[in-house]
Amino acid sequence: MPSVSSLSSDPSAAPASAPELDIVLECRDIHHGFGNKSVLYDINLRIVRGEIVGLVGPSGCGKSTLLRAIVGTHPPREGAVLVRAAGQTSPYAVEGPGPDRGIVYQRYALFPFLTALENVALGPLLHQTSIPFRLLRFPSWRRLRKRHLEEAAALLAKLKLGDAMHQYPHQMSGGMCQRVAIAQALIMKPEILLLDEPFGALDEATREELQRTLLTLYQENCAAKAAGLPPPAGTIIIVTHELSEALYVGDRVVGLSPYWDWKAEGFASCPGAAIVYDKVAPVYRPDQEKDYDSFVRQREEIRRVVFDSTYFPPRTENLTFWHDVRNGRGEGVLK
Amino acid sequence: MIRKPIPARWSLALGVLSVLVLLAVYTGLSLWQHHRNPEDTTIPTWSQLAVGVKQILEPSARDGQRWLVADGKATLIRLFLGLLCGIAGGIVLGLLMGCYPIIEALLVPPLSLLAKEPPTAMLAVFFVLVGTDTEMYVAMIAFGILPTLSQTVYLGVRDVPAELLDKASTLGASQIEIIWSIIARAIFPKIIDVVRLSIGPAMVYLIAAEMVCGDVGFGYRIRLQSRLLNMNVVYPYLAVLAAFGFTLDSALRLLQRYCCPWYVSGEK
Repeated sequence: MPSVSSLSSDPSAAPASAPELDIVLECRDIHHGFGNKSVLYDINLRIVRGEIVGLVGPSGCGKSTLLRAIVGTHPPREGAVLVRAAGQTSPYAVEGPGPDRGIVYQRYALFPFLTALENVALGPLLHQTSIPFRLLRFPSWRRLRKRHLEEAAALLAKLKLGDAMHQYPHQMSGGMCQRVAIAQALIMKPEILLLDEPFGALDEATREELQRTLLTLYQENCAAKAAGLPPPAGTIIIVTHELSEALYVGDRVVGLSPYWDWKAEGFASCPGAAIVYDKVAPVYRPDQEKDYDSFVRQREEIRRVVFDSTYFPPRTENLTFWHDVRNGRGEGVLK
Repeated sequence: MIRKPIPARWSLALGVLSVLVLLAVYTGLSLWQHHRNPEDTTIPTWSQLAVGVKQILEPSARDGQRWLVADGKATLIRLFLGLLCGIAGGIVLGLLMGCYPIIEALLVPPLSLLAKEPPTAMLAVFFVLVGTDTEMYVAMIAFGILPTLSQTVYLGVRDVPAELLDKASTLGASQIEIIWSIIARAIFPKIIDVVRLSIGPAMVYLIAAEMVCGDVGFGYRIRLQSRLLNMNVVYPYLAVLAAFGFTLDSALRLLQRYCCPWYVSGEK
């Protein structure tokens, strides 16, 4: 088992030419289950800072469970989630939810009693102030509040929501709500941003628009990395049931599936979903034509390895991400 | 046509018309009754009512007190203290039950039982425990509305999506902030709704208790004057009660509209 201090580099020997990759999050030996039902089996995942990872898998396989374990609202039965803040050498194990890990849910993403602007400014409010501070030091609270609102307004304008700042969530469309929810998470400058099927309830055109928004954020990450700065949008894991979405938005696709060859590892019944697929994905620029044909082969591969309930591949057969990156096949921030 | 909208001016005119028809029917009834029996006091004419109103508003010959002022003061103090205790207790208990399963397990069974107990039937219990003064009425109103109110608040808290609470924790909210800044704000309009619905029962309990054992108050006066068949006093008292309830209800509705624009307009 790798020690905590080895988190920043790949434990297996890397060629001298391989890029030194900055690991922001590690899921280490995570097992999870509810009662007698095993859900996750031996999840080991290391995420590079600035990446957008598409997490796919059959419905009900435990994608959301893994996300909740990372968020910290539902800690795993075994194993640990480790986060390394930008510029720090050693990671820390997460205990419960915190502002370093943001989340956007598919539904109930926004607080219905706050306007778009207030929703975005809520994070700094909750994080930087307490109820006694807001009551007892009212003047300084007002000044701080003004700054939060300005910050939130700037972020909303950047996400093209400048006109809707004072609307309540029920007055906005689904796509606008998800945009506000992304701003709400981004204002906390999280180390990692988790999107739980964020565009599942949206129509096709709105979904594509939001996918391009993510790609724009990714381009900012790439530019920041080239300049030696921390990625402004942080790192993103996007859970989706749309393979095309994962391939289009992500620079890496991770597949979680209960259909792997557990008999070969000596189990009588399925011990839970495992990571059976982990490969680099092509990187698109937001202005680039979305060309499905280019990832048809990879999509079919994922469909077979991750989604086919009659095909039980060995667990590690398709985990070539680190090998690919070491051999210079990664794009974007993985270069 | 089903659900065909009508102009706003029409609905106002129709509302006024129905009240006018009510008054006209009353006038007709009282005239017809006095035609049969000129001494009648059960359906007083408008002039008899004027005498009754004068009797209410002027200092009485017996103790120099104005009936409406004395009764109104006693009843209002009892009602508002009772509502205050019941609402505050109900909100606190409901929030705690909705947030903490231990308190939920402890309190839901007794409150469900208590909710089915008519508080007027328990009058003797309060009489024994806290005496016959204002405290008795306050205790009865508070205990009468508390179970239903706390259960409604509790269900409201349970309805707040878990995603919102998890989200608040990822934004750095403390436990107290989640309860105060998220849950309490999310259910605030529902609390106003349930307070509005509690005012009716609270008045029923109070008037009934005053009829049984009051020596001042609306219930006491209405029972006394009904026995004497002085309906020209009873009817104005009833009108004051209705107007009071209506005003309080409208005030709460306006408060809700002002404080929670997201909720009222969300009803569509």
